[in-house]
Formats: sequence, C-alpha cells, structure tokens
Amino acid sequence: MIAIENLGKRYGATTAVDAVSLAIERGSITVIVGTSGSGKSTLLRMINRLVEPTHGRVLIDGKDTAAEPAHLLRRRIGYALQGHGLFPHRTVAENIATVPRLLGWNKQRVAARVDELLTVFQMDPGDFRQKFPHQLSGGQQQRVGVARALAAEPSVLLMDEPFGALDPIIRAKAQEDLLGIQRRFGTTIVLVTHDMEEAFRLGKRVAVMSHGRVLQYDPPAMLLTRPADPLVARMTGIAHPALRLLSLMTAGDAAVPGESPGPRVAAAASLRDVLSELVWRGAESATVVDADGRPCGCLTIAAILARGRAS
Amino acid sequence: MSKLLKALCISAALSLLAAPWLHAAVVVSSKLSSESAMIGEMIRLLLDAHGIRTVDRSMLGTTPIVRKALIAGEIDLYVEYTGDAAFFFNMPSDPAWKNLRQGYELGAKLDYAANRIVWLTPADADNAWALAVRRDVAAANRLATMSDFARWVASGGKVVLACSAEFANGGTLRSLEHTYGFKLRSDQLIVLSGGETSATIAAAAAGTDGTDTAMVYGTDGGIVAANLVILKDDRHDQPIYAPVPIIRAAVLAAHPEIRRIVRPLMQSFDSATLRRLNARVQIDGESTQSVAEEYLKARGLLR
Amino acid sequence: MRRLRHIDRLGALLAAVGAAALAFLPFVVFKLNRILPGDPRGLLQVLPAPASLACLATLTAAAIVALGVAKPQTRLIAAVLGVVVLGAALAAAGDALTPIGNKVVRVAPGSGFWVLLASLGMMASDAVTRLRPGPGLRVLYLAAFIAAAALALAHGTFEHISVMREYAVNAGRFRHEAWRHVLLAFGSLAAAVVVALPIGIFCHRVPRLRGGVLGTLNLIQTIPAIALFGILMAPLGALAAAVPLAARIGVSGIGAAPAVLALFLYSLLPIVANTVAGLKRVSPAAVEAARGMGMTSWQILAGVELLLALPVILTGIRIVLVQNIGLVTIAALIGAGGLGTFVFQGIGQNAIDLVLLGAIPTVALAFSAAVILDALVEVMKRTPP
Repeated sequence: MIAIENLGKRYGATTAVDAVSLAIERGSITVIVGTSGSGKSTLLRMINRLVEPTHGRVLIDGKDTAAEPAHLLRRRIGYALQGHGLFPHRTVAENIATVPRLLGWNKQRVAARVDELLTVFQMDPGDFRQKFPHQLSGGQQQRVGVARALAAEPSVLLMDEPFGALDPIIRAKAQEDLLGIQRRFGTTIVLVTHDMEEAFRLGKRVAVMSHGRVLQYDPPAMLLTRPADPLVARMTGIAHPALRLLSLMTAGDAAVPGESPGPRVAAAASLRDVLSELVWRGAESATVVDADGRPCGCLTIAAILARGRAS
Repeated sequence: MSKLLKALCISAALSLLAAPWLHAAVVVSSKLSSESAMIGEMIRLLLDAHGIRTVDRSMLGTTPIVRKALIAGEIDLYVEYTGDAAFFFNMPSDPAWKNLRQGYELGAKLDYAANRIVWLTPADADNAWALAVRRDVAAANRLATMSDFARWVASGGKVVLACSAEFANGGTLRSLEHTYGFKLRSDQLIVLSGGETSATIAAAAAGTDGTDTAMVYGTDGGIVAANLVILKDDRHDQPIYAPVPIIRAAVLAAHPEIRRIVRPLMQSFDSATLRRLNARVQIDGESTQSVAEEYLKARGLLR
Repeated sequence: MRRLRHIDRLGALLAAVGAAALAFLPFVVFKLNRILPGDPRGLLQVLPAPASLACLATLTAAAIVALGVAKPQTRLIAAVLGVVVLGAALAAAGDALTPIGNKVVRVAPGSGFWVLLASLGMMASDAVTRLRPGPGLRVLYLAAFIAAAALALAHGTFEHISVMREYAVNAGRFRHEAWRHVLLAFGSLAAAVVVALPIGIFCHRVPRLRGGVLGTLNLIQTIPAIALFGILMAPLGALAAAVPLAARIGVSGIGAAPAVLALFLYSLLPIVANTVAGLKRVSPAAVEAARGMGMTSWQILAGVELLLALPVILTGIRIVLVQNIGLVTIAALIGAGGLGTFVFQGIGQNAIDLVLLGAIPTVALAFSAAVILDALVEVMKRTPP
C-alpha cells in the first residue's frame, strides 16, 4: 500500500538515508528499527514529507506523495511523535479534534469521533474531554497523542518512538493497546523504534536499519533464524535467540489436543512465558485454556523446546 | 477588499477635503507662562467676538517650541516679548533693546525679513528682570529706583538678595552692578536653583535667612501679594521685555482686521495692570479664562 | 489582644512610622495663597476634639491590628478603615481651615498625611498579597477603589484641598489633557505592537538576525527621552515642510508627532524581546506535531506558537504601557499635551499643587494599567484559550 522507491536524503556531504526501497503491506504494522543515527526517523518523516527527500519517491495507494501540497498530504496521514506534542493550551477534546477541524468536519461528527476514540483508549469521555494535557499522567498523554493521530480516520499512521517516554509497565500495556487499535481500525502503521523487543512484539515485518541503509526487511522470526547480515544477527541479539523465537509464538499455536495435570496457561500467552511458568512450577506440561477459560489443549516442555530449536 | 478599508479611504479623503476649511481658523497659541497664556486668551476671545474663527492651542511649550511652531505655520499667533528677539537674532548687546520703541521696531523689522512674521502693537509694560525689596525696607530707606538701591547698598545697607544662578552668574547682576555702581558680596546673595521668581518672592516675603530683596520679573503677580516694591530701572540697564502679539504675515493678510482688534487691548496694559491680573491667576488661582473675560468686559472691549 | 503571641514585623515598622508621622510631621500645610510655602498644622490642631479623637482612635486600632493580628482579612479591613478615616480627616481639615467663600487660601496635604497614607496603603496591599486573590478579584479591588475615590471626588469631599482647587480652575482642560494622555500612550503602544510582533516573529525564525536587531533596539532605549524628542523634531519638521500631505495628517516637528514616534521607538525593544523569548519557550514537540498534522505555517504561528507565547508577549506590552504613560508626561515639553502640561506649568509657577494635579492621575493610570494587564497575563497562563 505504501511503496517506498529508492528514497534517499543527503545533508550536504552526509547521507542520512541511502536509497531505501520498501513495500509496506496494507493493514499491517511495519516496524523500522535501528540505533540512533541509523536514519530511521528521517526515513519515516519522508513518508509524510516532514523531511523532503533528496531523491526517490513514495507512493501511497499508487499516488505519488509529492504530487500534492505537503500540508494537505499530512492531513490524511496520522502522525504520533515521541513526547506526544500535545497542545498545552487546548483541552484533550480540542487536541484530538485538530485534524478533523482542519478538514472541515461538522461539530457533531467531531464530537462523536472524540468520544469514540477516548472510549477506545479507555478514558471516560465525560471525565477527560475537558482536561488539559498537564492534568494527565504520562500514559494518558501518550494515549491522547495516538488518539489525535487517528482522529481523522487516516489509512496510514506514522509513529516515531511513541512509547519511548513511558515506564516499562505502562509501555507493555501501550503496545498491547496498539495491537488492539490496529485490529479494530485496520490502519496501516509504520512505527520507528530503537527497542528490538518492541519491534519483535509489534511488527508483522521489521526493517533493520544501520547507517541509512535497510539491512533486512522480513518477519521477525526470519530475522532470528535467517539473518541477512552479521550486523542484523548482532542487533537482534545472539544472546537468547531461542527465547526470542519462543516469545514470538503463542501457546494456542503450539497446543495439541489432550489434557494435562499441570498449571493452566492462556492461549494468547507466548511460549517463552509458558516455559518460564513450567520451569518455575517444576511441571512437565500445562493446560492451555482459551479466552473464556475453557481448556483447549495441552503443551509439554519437550514440545516447547522443539519449537525453539534453530531450524 | 473589505468594508473597513473602504471606510478608511472615505474618511481619509473627507479629512483631506475638510482640512483646508479647518485651516481657515486662526490658531492662537502661547508659551507656558500664565501671563502669555492670559493675554493670548484675551486676544482669542476678541477675535472670536469679531467673527474670526479661532483654535485654542495655548501653553504649547517652551519658547523655542512655540517659535518653531509659528515659523512652520502650525500656529498662527502668540504673544512674544520684544527683548527675546535679541536672542532669536543673536544680537544681545545691541542698545536698541533697552528702549521699548527702538527694540520693537528692530525686532519687527528682523522678524518680518527673516520669517514673514508681523509684530502687532506692543504693550507699554516691562517683564524684564528686576529687583524688588520688602515694603518695610523700602519705606525705611526710601527706595524707589535702582539708583536708590545702589546708594543704600554702598552705604552699608543690610541687603540679602535671593536670586537664580543664571541671574547671579550669567551677567545680569554684574551688568546692574556696573551700571549703578554697587557690589554685592557673596554672603549677601542667596542663590536658588532654577529660575523660579515665585521662590525668590516667597523667600523675601517670609524673610527666610534674612532675605529682603528678591529677583523678580517685572510683571510677576506675586510682587503685590508678597508686599514687595519693585525698583525702577532708571538708567535702563536691562533690555525691555514688552509683550507683543506676533502673527504670520499670511494669516494677517487673510484677516487684516486683526491688527485693529488687538491694538486697544495691548494699549490698555501697563506693568501695574499686568501685575494685578497675574496676581489673580498666579496667587489667587483664578482660571485664565475667567480673568481674561472679566478684564475684557471691564474695559468695554467685549460685550 | 489574645493573639498577641508574636508581633508582626512589618506591622511594627508601619505602626512606628505612622506614629512618628502623626506626632512629628505636619498633617496639612496651610498656605495663604498658592505659591507661598505655608505653615505646618498637626492633626490635633486642625480638627475639633471629638473628630480628632475619633480619628486617632481608628488609627491606633489600625496600628494594633498591624502589630498583633495575623488574619489578613482583618488587617485589610483595618487598613481600609484607616485610609477612609484619614481621607475624611483631610477633607475636614480643608473645610475647617478655609474661610467660607475664600478661594485664595490653600490647604495642602502635609508630609505627615502622605507618610500615614503610605503606611496604611502598604498594610492594605500586604494584606491583599497574603490573601492571594485571583486576577479577577484583584481587578475588582482596583475597580472598587477607583469607584470610591471617584465618588468622593465627585461629591466634593475634597473640594477645599489644594489639588482639587487647582482642578476646579482647570477642569475642562484637565479632561482634554487626560484624554490626550491616554490616546498618546495607547496609540504609540498600538502602533508598536503592529510593527514589533512581526519583527519578533522574524527574529525568532532567523536567529542570525536576532543579535543585530535587538542590539539596535537596545541602543535606541539608551537615548534619553528629551534627547530623542529633540532629535526627531528637525527631520519631522522638514518632512512636514516638504510634503504638504504629511502636514495635513498631522506630521510636524512638534506636538504629538515626535512624541508618538519617540514612544513608538521606545516601545519596540520590550515587545520584540518578549516575543522572541515567548516563542522560544513554545515546546518544539507541539510545533512538530502541528506540522505533522498538516497545519500550514500560518496556522501553526497563529494557532499554536503565538497563543502559547501570549503570556510573555503580554508582559512585554504591560511594560511598554506603563513606560509610555510615564514618558507622555515629558512629551508635554514639546507641545504634545497630556497631563505633563500641568506638571511643567506647576514647576514654572512654583505651584506644587498644579504639579500634583498632573502627577497623581498619571501614577494612578500607570498603576491601574499594570494591575489590569498583570491580571490578564495570569488569566492567559491559567486557562489558555
């Protein structure tokens, strides 16, 4: 849906982004990961032309982004940045309503959308509509920032290290919420982060960048099992490739029919968590239960270990 | 573009059209002193009564400001003093200034030639610097003129003179001493900062630090109220400062009757009258307008 | 006296100063006419026994409250009561000392009155500060004070006091000059805001120019007011002479034109500097987010940057307004009019009361402007638009 063709950015003698080509699938979460200075933020910001490319082009649904004025393009693309950038002088409702107002939506539609988004992000509209950003906690501010980005129902959402300022516990919840949002609205999300765990957690496909170039662009499992570059392998973490791999699979994927005397684990739990639980309890197997709590299979340690083997 | 812009254009155009009509009025101004404002107000009331439209811009500023305004054509008429011309035309030592008629004619000639300003009828009054002594001291020592004063000083009279720094050091005192042949020691002088004759008059009236003589202006209102007697400059040492209305030649040409209207007013003044009128404004605190109007009515110049 | 546990230090100072003023300084000065220096008279000398005792009692009560009572509301009430009684005593003194129908004698407030007024005023403002009123309440206090003063003046309570005598003689001109003063101060401010805001925005966008622009404006600030008026007289006069249209619209070497131009120049620096400072403080993340959302540069400037910088910019405007109100006083020297004409006439005639007639309203105007604009700044900071 987003075609990045030979996109590059040069500042004088320095090359920030070096001829990158990517194809981003509709309705997926694509994560661009890399260390600072790798050019990932610059690449992201060339999609909505906050940075103008030196060469190359971006096509969204076949249309060249350079064809229309930048500010009109940006009104159709959601943008959430680190430090959320909420307007301190406007209420939560007014913040969220920014782009819809720019697009000329009528008042009722705007109000309805604001309430809808606040509810989706688990903030009671009656409570939060009139609050100012300084009255919110860090986590709430971040959520309002994402809500604001989604307000005008964009088909594309760009996120630049959106969870960077959150503490680990809230960050996990926020990542979880993002997955839920994506499922609900079907938005195509391009997210930039330096956190490999986050990339693996969220991304359907992950682009690993270093020094302005994309080293590999593949689903996370393939980055682990078939790294295209020793640098990629180093970045994704040789330390615990097996555990990384196991974290990508859920108990529900690996469960086989049967029963087990062992502890109950959720089908959505990752194999790494199940393994950790079994080791902790000293059990050999676990019962997998679905979202309603009904047993739907069992899982043995041996089966888990088999999955973690490099293949 | 917008209604506002249109309104602005129309009002600008209208004001441009109206401006010449406004300028037909005679702008009467004055210096900051209450005497010049009072005479200016009298002139303005007279012009009004004779059907000439006037604009009141009295107490515009200091002498240089008012003069600049007149030459630039922003004001049309104000009351000047004959002696001031000595400074305008940079000839302070010319003896003509010590005689009212000669000084007037010289000033009128110079101002018309240089600036196209016409000098109207002067008043027979003198607002120059002078000395005034306490009435009791004057009576006791039979002091009426500066010559008497010089005689009294020379004979060891108890003189303490309150004056300004400019008077003491700027040459005026020395000139008087030279002309009349007396010399004041430094312990006989009390020099006050600033040129306020009201302060010197107050000092003499109260006898502060033994003051019995004050530097005054010839028509100061405070002289009478403070019970002082002004000493006549019988040897004409000081230039004469007679009030004279001056007007732009162009305006006078447009309203030639102004000369005729102003003459009886200026001829009605003398130093004593001006002192009395000034006293009402400066001491009693009456408003310039009411004093001016009353005087004009009393003299039959206004109905 | 129960709460006399610890003595309020400010209250002790004010009470001591006030008592000394009452005892040793003249309450009023009785002058036979407007230019003579006059005799000092004490409060007890001037008022009949019951009135002066009542006055003393109130002032003593105020002093006791100042010393021992901590509750700000009580202190405020005591101070206000003290001021009211003081004012009444002054008015009564004026009535008592002025023979009926006499328009020549002058009863002027003496140094004792002023010191007492300042002490009570300080006590009141200290109490108000302790109460920490919000901006709306502060403006309300100001309005109440002005209304009370206006009522007393209109009612003629102070008609025998020297300053009001001068007013009575100059009433028409006073209104005219006061209005002119306000117009000159606000007019030059408005012109400066229109020009300085864009300059400030420009300096913020182009940091290279900042030093040069601010340096030049700083240089202008160092020129003394009278000197600047003088410097502007010649070119403006020449302009008026050369271009008749300019003369028609009021450009001239003297009067309002050089005054407004000088004030305009003095007003530029605070507004430019505060605009730059205010814009600097705007969070870059907010601006970046605004760009990313598709706002145009103008929309960002108007909708985000300026609004967030507004409290700081308004503070600059407050500085300029108070400054201009004071500077217009000097402009009277070059024929611009305003309340300064009374000040300079008074100086020339040695009539201090005339000087006060010009000075007191100017101070009141500046003070009111400061209070109102400060309240506005605070409102902007608290509940942003």
